[in-house]
Amino acid sequence: MWTVLRDETQLAASWRRAEPFPHLVIDDAFASESVAGLLAVLEEEAVDRYEGEIFRFEASAPEPTTQELRAVRDGFAAAFAPVFARITGKPVTHVDMRAYAYRPGHYLLPHSDHRDGLARALAYAYYLPSPEPPRGGELELFACRVDGGEIVATDSALMIEPRGNRLVVFDVSEVSLHQVREVLAGLRISLAGWFYP
Amino acid sequence: MVLPVTTLDELFGAALMVPDAIDAERAAAVRARHESSYTRYALVDRGNYEYVDDPNEPELIELMQRAAERATGRTLAPRSARILRLLPGSYVLAHHDGIREDNPVEVTLDLSRAPVPDAELHYRRRGQVYFRFPCLPGGLAIVERGVTITCNHCYVSKLHVAASVVRLVVTLRDSDSAMHTTRNTSR
Repeated sequence: MWTVLRDETQLAASWRRAEPFPHLVIDDAFASESVAGLLAVLEEEAVDRYEGEIFRFEASAPEPTTQELRAVRDGFAAAFAPVFARITGKPVTHVDMRAYAYRPGHYLLPHSDHRDGLARALAYAYYLPSPEPPRGGELELFACRVDGGEIVATDSALMIEPRGNRLVVFDVSEVSLHQVREVLAGLRISLAGWFYP
Repeated sequence: MVLPVTTLDELFGAALMVPDAIDAERAAAVRARHESSYTRYALVDRGNYEYVDDPNEPELIELMQRAAERATGRTLAPRSARILRLLPGSYVLAHHDGIREDNPVEVTLDLSRAPVPDAELHYRRRGQVYFRFPCLPGGLAIVERGVTITCNHCYVSKLHVAASVVRLVVTLRDSDSAMHTTRNTSR
């Protein structure tokens, strides 16, 4: 069961003043006694190794293959899309969801998530408790300076530890630059994707 | 004669690799000469690395030019040279690469002290990797660029704590093509 976010006014204020770009970090996002059930769902979901110019990780298919993970995705959307729509002012209604496993040597280099035509409004990552908590694997947010529509400076601004049962939600824009730092040891497990209108 | 070409696009992008172009002692001497000259580049959505522009290495650049001329049959002249150094956590993305409108030849000489796993130089045609140059100390890569060819230097893992990938990259153009230009979109 996903947690109920009660103080939306305060969360909206936190969202607006967050630096380097709007984001929220929500701990204990899932009922702690039920997290083991989430891990059990992931154990049934096949993952493949993905490698490209900016990433190396293991992930499930873009569309969940098991009914159980689809139910987790739909439950997550039902619990959070209306709330985050109110908090962020972005009229999001649904999400996609993939499971990710980052092992030593896995990373996702800096990028913004913004793609014309994809309508990604908010990005999210929910970290699961790991049997081998990772060293590295932080979500790093960058501050960008823009001149003439082009990024001309980037500075590391915030490091978010992938702590178990933590949900991170952040704005998607051309300057929402972020990366997953390389995992140096252990295992980083997450559910991640985007909220869409 | 029928050329094995299916599209005009594929006329460009010819690439080859030459191992052992220089020995380890000579590579070490080049590294030592520029050790204190590096500038850091860190627009992280494009790259994170160190570089030395226009290194004073005329003999080495001439060696690379001659190798490129033999490989391509073209008469070439150097237009730019840069030493790149990639330490653990470094990378150069294709997004950082310029569009080469005049089909230059790019020659890369690996000056690294030791091989580094996965620290490859990738050449891409329309985004798809078609040529991989591993970290091969003393080795040379020669690539004919075209407008659809880009390249990236792969991420160097922090698991290789002593990694240091050093590459001298020389861009050569036809010696009579002084009017041609490079449109660099991202630097």
